Amino acid sequence: MVLVGVAVGGALALVAVLIPWLPSADAEEAGPVDQVYWFVTIICIVIFALVAGVSVYAVWKFRAAPDDEDDGSPIHGHTGLEVVWTAVPAALVTAISIYSGVVLVQIERIPPEHRVVEVTAQQFAWSFTYEENGTQITSGTLALPVDQPVELKLTARDVIHSFWVPEWRMKKDAVPGIETDIVVTPSKVGNFTVVCTELCGLGHATMRAQAVVLTQQGFEDWLREQRRLAEQAGSAQGATLFTQQCGTCHALADAGTTAEVGPNLDNVLPGKGADFIQESIVNPNAEITPGFQPDVMPGNFGEVLSQQQLDSLVEYLQEVAGQR
Amino acid sequence: MAVEVHERDYVVTHGGPTQGGNRWTSAGWLRVLWVAPLSFLLSIVLVIGLRLALGYETAGWEVLNPFGDSFFQFAPADLQPLIVAWTVIVPLAFLAALGGFDYWAYWVSGRPTRPEDHSGHGARSWRDYFRVNTDHKVIGIQYLVTTIFFFVAAGLMAMFMRAELAKPGMQFVDNNTFNGLFSVHASLMIFLFVIPAFAGLGNYVIPLMIGAPDMAFPRLNALSFWLLPIAGLTMLSSFLVPNGGAFAAGWTNYAPLAVQQAEGNLMFQMGVQWAGASSIMTALNFLVTIITMRAPGMSFWRLPLLVWANFATSTLVVIATPFIAGSQFFILFDRVLHTHFFTPGEPGGDVIAYQHIFWFYSHPAVYIMMLPGFGIASEVISVFARKPIFGYRLMALSLMAILILGFSVWAHHMFVSGMSPWLRIPMMVTTMLIAVPTGIKVFSWLATLWEGRIHFKTPMLFASGFVSMFVIGGLSGIYLGAIPIDIHASDTYFVVAHIHYVLFGGSLFTIFAGIYYWFPKMTGRMYNERLGKLHFWLTFIGFNVTFFPMHWLGLQGMPRRVSDYAAEFGSLNFVITIASFFLGASTVVFLYNMIVSWARGEPAPGNPWRALTLEWQVSSPPPIFNFDEIPQVVGSPYEYGVRGARHAVMNGDRAAATEPERERVH
Repeated sequence: MVLVGVAVGGALALVAVLIPWLPSADAEEAGPVDQVYWFVTIICIVIFALVAGVSVYAVWKFRAAPDDEDDGSPIHGHTGLEVVWTAVPAALVTAISIYSGVVLVQIERIPPEHRVVEVTAQQFAWSFTYEENGTQITSGTLALPVDQPVELKLTARDVIHSFWVPEWRMKKDAVPGIETDIVVTPSKVGNFTVVCTELCGLGHATMRAQAVVLTQQGFEDWLREQRRLAEQAGSAQGATLFTQQCGTCHALADAGTTAEVGPNLDNVLPGKGADFIQESIVNPNAEITPGFQPDVMPGNFGEVLSQQQLDSLVEYLQEVAGQR
Repeated sequence: MAVEVHERDYVVTHGGPTQGGNRWTSAGWLRVLWVAPLSFLLSIVLVIGLRLALGYETAGWEVLNPFGDSFFQFAPADLQPLIVAWTVIVPLAFLAALGGFDYWAYWVSGRPTRPEDHSGHGARSWRDYFRVNTDHKVIGIQYLVTTIFFFVAAGLMAMFMRAELAKPGMQFVDNNTFNGLFSVHASLMIFLFVIPAFAGLGNYVIPLMIGAPDMAFPRLNALSFWLLPIAGLTMLSSFLVPNGGAFAAGWTNYAPLAVQQAEGNLMFQMGVQWAGASSIMTALNFLVTIITMRAPGMSFWRLPLLVWANFATSTLVVIATPFIAGSQFFILFDRVLHTHFFTPGEPGGDVIAYQHIFWFYSHPAVYIMMLPGFGIASEVISVFARKPIFGYRLMALSLMAILILGFSVWAHHMFVSGMSPWLRIPMMVTTMLIAVPTGIKVFSWLATLWEGRIHFKTPMLFASGFVSMFVIGGLSGIYLGAIPIDIHASDTYFVVAHIHYVLFGGSLFTIFAGIYYWFPKMTGRMYNERLGKLHFWLTFIGFNVTFFPMHWLGLQGMPRRVSDYAAEFGSLNFVITIASFFLGASTVVFLYNMIVSWARGEPAPGNPWRALTLEWQVSSPPPIFNFDEIPQVVGSPYEYGVRGARHAVMNGDRAAATEPERERVH
């Protein structure tokens, strides 16, 4: 029995260690979370090995022949054993609770010096707003400097969404009507994916955004570039807006976007005029491309975009459509 | 000791030969045939008449005029009141036409109620299963067959989903259909399979186990069964709703998405009402039956553990189910009456309040779907290990502990929801504590095997399969209960793996164990043992290959409820899809075994398993009123290996009843 238990425990330990169960840990908060994970894993392997050892041994040892009509030993219970298997699990889960509680407080502590980014979720896109040196910057990409804590303030425009970057181990729902927040300190430069994990409608499976972690210098360059883009006007501004707001769902070769949630604009845009384009943006259900369903595209771009932004976007799309 | 046999009045609504009268107007399917369509039209007249009278611009008579341009051109908003009317009025009319309310209607109107000739009891031909029958044994089988139908329907939906998920990108269905598939799959499996399948098994077995001739309220019992097909067909038919199809906000139906959804969402809200009403009525029936109808000598400490389990489950159902009913009514009001219970804005409701109310039912629902399985496992393991169940009293008390703790853990589904942060730690502690009574049960089952004489018949295979799989589901529950890990794993495939280890490896395995175990009792025939074992091994292997890799997918970053996923998860998803088809195919073996054995299986003896509980002391199938004479219970139901011990004395063998209680051998 002990042998079986040890064998199962050893095998499970190998499975737990050799297979990479968790993605790489690329934020400071991920470390403590992973420690809780390993703590729980060790306890679970021991318990499972115990159960497997006893049951495999019992199945092998106490199996009856088909014609055996005898009964087993009439054992009704054992108070000592029952006390042990009440008390030991109670102690173990209490230990897990305490450790989890300590880590929770640790990973949610907001450092006094931190950046704030407002995250807005809507069907089916993310946008990220920065207040940097008095100017407001909005982007469809979450760019962050490495090793600096950031508080993400989450909210949603329509239904509940959920912000998750697997490598950072952090997740929180973005809820319409209230503001939630998470604190994260990215510790590795690179590209990550923001995943929506709360079912939010037709485009849920493809509601993704890019998170880019940059060096301090790279982040400053990025901010400068964003400021420049924000000061653009006309079709150049429209192209930027398209990449940020529309490109998460629509493919358009000119803007370099490839998403497939909505119609491919390279196919449906050519030849369309300004009125049609504007109507399709502010009232997407007015005409639905065959093969697509109504209500997939957010109906609130008329409110989200300023009139000036809308004009630039239409101007840009008209250019691509070959109508200017 | 003289034993008083309780005379009860067995009341029969109908079912025997009809008392003269017109066949079209007396209770039955012929009356349904014209009443149901009529009620369908009546709903339209009612809704459109009201709208017309109140001066609404749309959906007046013009939509019903076949010569007009707007014939049946309902705007989506106009369809909602109609769906509500249909899903309320047609089911009630159906029940009335079938005879579900006949007795009460006669009584209320002062007409003579039908003579109580017991003719509605028992089933003489297959036709009797399609009538309002008040015999708990007939109702139990009606429950099981109906729930297996919905199990197959929901299982096929899972196959469609796995086909779509076999590789990245979209192949077979669009997003809307996919979201509908997983929503209806979960709703049917939960509300039309697991919960009522346990109710069906309990219905058949519990009166027999406690030595009662029937349930306490036979007519209510019949009514609660007939609500089930209504609930199931309401949910299934949501695929037919024009403009958007089935409800697609998940079985959790979170606001505000549920309010924003197309009209099919109403079919979930109404389906849940019918299924919930059925659950509550059955649970009340179980409670009253268990409390008041135990045979003489059947004290609570002599109850088989399945009866304890159903006692705990029924208490959970009665207390918790009204909460999901309320949550869905409020969603319905938000949709149809434009209230703002759960939608933000001006005037604003509370989005997160929905989740609190929903999970206040739906977490206890996990135990509603698990405790009866614990009961079945205890029966099966004790009988096939030929040993008394280990630590009987602690086993019963741990059920009650789970019942009480189960009400204090609901918000562990909401650790990342943005609810009040202080609530998380207390909810984590109570969640973790539930592992203690659950652990007691697992360890006691293992100890029951110790020094037993284990016979691995199909029910025992499924029961031991259940113990091992449920341990995995329980341990992954510890991961999800620890908040820091939950923040990472919540709403991912890790959760999909966890719930299937609990509900498939837990609930479904015990349902299979129960069906095989009581099959000889219910049908009077033995199932095919070889096919039963084949079914077990196919299911066991298919299940593990399908669901175990999902833990990895979730931790690595694949969210749940998606029709498409990142390319890196492609190969593992392909393996899962193949395994799931294998798993689906194993069900064919089960269905074949059940159908063929029911028709042509070997005749079953009264007690093929040499079990001690009362249901095995009567013929297979049991007599119409279960016992020729109410038995006298004299001891524990699990005294295997205790020389001379008896659980009950049957049929007037009163001399044995005076025997002194047996000494317990440790």
